[in-house]
Amino acid sequence: MKIVVVGAGQVGSTIVEALHGEHDLTVIDTVRERLEPLAYRYDLRTIEANGASRRAIQQAGTSEADLFIACTSRDEVNLVACSFARVEAPRATIVIRTSNVEYIDLWREGRLDVDFAVSSELETAHAVSRSIGMPTARQTDVFADGQVQIVEFEIPEGADPAVLGVPLREAQLPHDSRVLAIIRGDSMTLPGGRDVIQQDDRIVVIGSPQAAREWGALLAPGEGVVEDVVVFGGGQVGAAIARMLTTQGIGVRLIEPDRDRAREVAEELPACRVYSATGIDADFLARERIGSAQAAVFAIKDDARNHYAATLARAHGVRFTIAIVHDAISTPVYELSGVDVTINPRGVTAEEIVRFAHDPRTQQVAMLEGDRYEVLDITTQPTSEYVGLRFREMPIRGALIGAIVRDGHAVFPRSDEVLQAGDRVIVFTERSRVPDVEKVL
Amino acid sequence: MSPYRAARIGARARLGIDLAGALGLTGTLVAYLSLSAVLPAAAAVGYGEPVWPFLAAGGITGGIGLGLARLGHRTAGPIGFREGYLVVSLTWLLAAVYASLPYLFSDEPQLSHPVDALFEGMSGFTTTGASVVADVEALDRSILLWRQLSQWLGGMGIIVLALAVLPRLRIGGRQMFESELPGPEVDQLAERIRDTARRLWLLYIGLTLVLLGILLVIGWSGLDAELSAFEALAHALTTMPLGGFSTENRSLEVFAPATQWVIALFMALAGLNFALLYRAIVRRDPAALGRDEEARLYATALLLGSILVFVELVHADLFAGEEAVRQAVFQTTSLMTGTGFAITDYVDWPTLSVMAMIGLMFVGASAGSPTGSVKIVRHLLVGRLLRRELRQTIHPELVMPIRLNGRPVDERTLRAVLAFVVMYIGIFIVGAALLAIDARFSEVELGITEAIAASAGTLGNVGPGLGFAGPMGSYAPFSDFSKIVMAILMWIGRLEVLPVLVLLTRGYWRV
Repeated sequence: MKIVVVGAGQVGSTIVEALHGEHDLTVIDTVRERLEPLAYRYDLRTIEANGASRRAIQQAGTSEADLFIACTSRDEVNLVACSFARVEAPRATIVIRTSNVEYIDLWREGRLDVDFAVSSELETAHAVSRSIGMPTARQTDVFADGQVQIVEFEIPEGADPAVLGVPLREAQLPHDSRVLAIIRGDSMTLPGGRDVIQQDDRIVVIGSPQAAREWGALLAPGEGVVEDVVVFGGGQVGAAIARMLTTQGIGVRLIEPDRDRAREVAEELPACRVYSATGIDADFLARERIGSAQAAVFAIKDDARNHYAATLARAHGVRFTIAIVHDAISTPVYELSGVDVTINPRGVTAEEIVRFAHDPRTQQVAMLEGDRYEVLDITTQPTSEYVGLRFREMPIRGALIGAIVRDGHAVFPRSDEVLQAGDRVIVFTERSRVPDVEKVL
Repeated sequence: MSPYRAARIGARARLGIDLAGALGLTGTLVAYLSLSAVLPAAAAVGYGEPVWPFLAAGGITGGIGLGLARLGHRTAGPIGFREGYLVVSLTWLLAAVYASLPYLFSDEPQLSHPVDALFEGMSGFTTTGASVVADVEALDRSILLWRQLSQWLGGMGIIVLALAVLPRLRIGGRQMFESELPGPEVDQLAERIRDTARRLWLLYIGLTLVLLGILLVIGWSGLDAELSAFEALAHALTTMPLGGFSTENRSLEVFAPATQWVIALFMALAGLNFALLYRAIVRRDPAALGRDEEARLYATALLLGSILVFVELVHADLFAGEEAVRQAVFQTTSLMTGTGFAITDYVDWPTLSVMAMIGLMFVGASAGSPTGSVKIVRHLLVGRLLRRELRQTIHPELVMPIRLNGRPVDERTLRAVLAFVVMYIGIFIVGAALLAIDARFSEVELGITEAIAASAGTLGNVGPGLGFAGPMGSYAPFSDFSKIVMAILMWIGRLEVLPVLVLLTRGYWRV
């Protein structure tokens, strides 16, 4: 496969590292110092040019490429590079890295002409929320501006008897939610009212973030709900983490030293309490009772400061700490000092892109159980045979509609709801049935 | 001429503002405004009353306007925001003078003194509704109509009107617009100020016509025997601008309950932000009213005020049943929106109700409406500022942007809001003190509450005070000095303090 990568920063180099050898790679970057180490270490072509120039993209042989990845740290460059690439190679698969959630949403709505969009900030925020949001959750994803959440749970021992061993139609389940699938061993069922959840099953639930949390509490009653998380550092990553946690209904306190930036974050996130403080001021930590937080996330840009803040917070009594690693070599340092979880945003992003490069697919928004099941986000066409039908009248063909987004609001449909043309539906299905589902809707 | 070159040329050029340009624009505005004398003149012809007071007033004002306009002839380019303050302040002062001329020229003994005429003129254009005329019914019909019309013209703002109607005014931005239709942020209905101004005026005219229609129907159908076509027109003209002038000696007391209810409803309506009303009525999005925090608080304040007064009135055995509700709702709406109509002499109400009436004068209606006083949105923002102050006492590092309708409000705007409220209260106190001191020297019987009510009523463009200046009385007994003080209060209040006060600073005039 011929692959063109724009950007040779941390994300770009990680991608190159993973993909070299089996593919033909061309890397474009403006800085020679970033290209040289790659060229010496791996067998690939490098072009020293601006990725946002059409000539550079032509020169890289984009017209013959199968895969085009724009992963510089600047959104604008990536957008321009992708639109040139689309002109050069209409059939190539195009992947864009962006830090702007708006672009991701645009892509999900099918209005951005790329095949896959990844955001470091969002991936990192997902990773953080997975480690603190719900201990029993194996995987979680949010859609439609955080109004819809899909969670895959593992049913542990001691789950609430209201759920366990009772037919679904009699079980008292959280409102605004729906069980999309029960996975038992190797088999998956799209459950009806008679099906029963058992211990050691894995279930896929769709619902509002509130409902998802209630599910988490139902399945692991002892664990309690996380209510107070402190995020250190209000940069792009810190803000994205705070946003994701607040949409899940978790109380977040954010600490950002720069006054203007603190104000910006506070304006953006009304549900989050923002402090303008250094975060390494012992008096402040004591006064604001930071030690009583259930978890703290450290997203300060400078690893040394970040590390110090994490250690200080631990000394003040924070029990669970997550560090966002700026530079890959810092990971062992954090781990050595007892930080519970480390997350490397660039690593996470590169992984995501590489996963996609191995197995490119369109339309997919989330994968569960490796890649056996998919969650699709599709806008219904007026010509669809399902439009105008009540949900209970729809024949089940190996797919289940979990939620619809109508006029920007998420609805979790009851059986007598009618599907309308133009509704955005979030569908859960087996991978093999994706084309059928797309055709029908 | 660049300011730098100007500074080298000489003493005259040390002036920090383009005085000729500002006076020129003021002249143009006043000259156009003088055309409005045609309307009462026509009425005078119709009623067989003297026409010349209106023609003379129009002629003199037009002449002054054209003279000033010539001054500005030489300077080119749009008027900057700095000159804007002078233009706005001066235009409104001249408008008041213009309104007073027909009173002076007419043979009416109650308005023959220049100070009285100026007071009445200022009270008209600023939509205050305070009057020095004790026996309104004795006035000529054309003069009465001119009184009502001056309030209607002033309601939506003279400059906003000029922007909407006149071709190519040399006004660049929004600043002059905002000092007339104020609020922390004017909601722009269109890309161009001119289109926004036009829409607001059309809505204003439309609502006035609807009210007129309803009142005419009430009059013709015999529901209200007192309501002639003339009365209907006169009161439609002063309800929409939240003015308060009436053609009756005892305000709206003589009218039937149906008329009073309709007028109460339209006062409440006119107290809403007009940009919001436009959205709700013209763009058919009534839910916009429910989404707006200011509109919600406005409705809540009206409701709570009415309930308080209602309970007090029933408790004191003054009224019962529908009448008690009507009295409470009408008086609360009238005083809170700064209209100043009355359907009873509330001077004799129990203490708490009278205090409520004074308190309501400080509330005001929504920003972007013809109301005066502090306005609901400022109360809302000040409340949030205080709440933030309390929270930051405990958490000094907490960053809390203050939001209005979900959008963060700029800190500079908040400072301006706070400064406004402090200045407003300061001016109110100075005004009340001046009235009290002057009353002593001029041997006018004026109690504490009366002094407070007169100052609050004129500064807030409400109208009636208490005591002899109450809703059924008049401001005539005050001395000339006090009347001038109150005319200035009305002027300052209508322009929201700042444009007038800024003229008093040295820095405004210097480079």
